[in-house]
Amino acid sequence: MFDQLSLNILDIGMNSLAAGATVVRITVIEDVPHDQLLIRIRDNGRGMDEKTLRDVLAKNASTKAGRKKPIGLGLALLRQTSEMCDGAFRIQSAPGKGTGVTASMRLSHVDRPPLGDLNATIFALCAVNQDADVQLHYRSGDQKFHFSSQEGKHNEPRRTQETQGKGAAAGCAA
Amino acid sequence: MNLDELKKLKEKAQRQVALREGNKKYRVVFSMGTSGIAAGAREIMTAMLDEIDKRGIENVEVAVTGEIGLVDAEPVIRIEDRSGEKVTYANVNADAARKIVAEHLQKGKVVDGLAVGKTKEAERTK
Ligand SMILES: Nc1ncnc2c1ncn2[C@@H]1O[C@H](COP(=O)(O)OP(=O)(O)OP(=O)(O)O)[C@@H](O)[C@H]1O
Ligand SMILES: [Mg+2]
Repeated sequence: MFDQLSLNILDIGMNSLAAGATVVRITVIEDVPHDQLLIRIRDNGRGMDEKTLRDVLAKNASTKAGRKKPIGLGLALLRQTSEMCDGAFRIQSAPGKGTGVTASMRLSHVDRPPLGDLNATIFALCAVNQDADVQLHYRSGDQKFHFSSQEGKHNEPRRTQETQGKGAAAGCAA
Repeated sequence: MNLDELKKLKEKAQRQVALREGNKKYRVVFSMGTSGIAAGAREIMTAMLDEIDKRGIENVEVAVTGEIGLVDAEPVIRIEDRSGEKVTYANVNADAARKIVAEHLQKGKVVDGLAVGKTKEAERTK
């Protein structure tokens, strides 16, 4: 359904904004030596309780209002792509603790879609919610950078120098 | 991937959106659920914001919804005005998106042939 992984990322990021997240941190790591692509979308939104998460994983449940069938497509699509490309898919979530969606893939897998226009995805997320901190942590070989849509906005020269550990982003529930 | 380009885009997004906070004349609602995105909603939004920026239109705010109720006709956008009037456009492509900005948002003229009418209907059948 998506021919670019950046569209999956937009879709999952929209879930985060819909869940009231004020921080959405997108991590993309292309690890060529290990032939791995890692995509993670971490938010500090309302999270899911155990039952909701179980239903989402087992039957692609959706809590969106106005659905004829309470079936969601977004998470299922990313999971399908990741599993098809010899990767793993994981959701961590708890009420009040936010949600993390992690998908890995074999970089060289023939069916792996290209990342596509990641900039357009970040742009759309920023436009949708200008108060949220939309972050991109990107690493590919020697190239590495951190982007934050709120950087410099509140006069806080917040320069992220190194890759932080899991859940270390300011304001992002671990 | 390039950080400078991203920073420029962010500034653009902020500039465009900052202009239209508050009680604006029009509110453009994009259908940005999975089916909307798959049908091209990201490109439609990019084109519309770009056209709004180019024309210097300030009386517009942007919002998204997970669904407008026309899954088979995505990309779908809805334009609401202050009086509560809602016009829905379906099967929008980038050219149509720019035309909607020029006609509807700038001149207040509904684009016939693209508009599929008031959404109240679609909402009721949800
Ligand atoms: N980041 C998140 N925070 C809290 N709940 C989430 C998050 N992501 C997903 N969910 C829950 O999981 C459900 C399924 O998500 P999924 O993206 O698969 O479908 P959807 O968003 O409901 O609909 P679609 O993506 O097809 O437009 C959501 O309805 C929501 O209840
Ligand atoms: Mg979704």
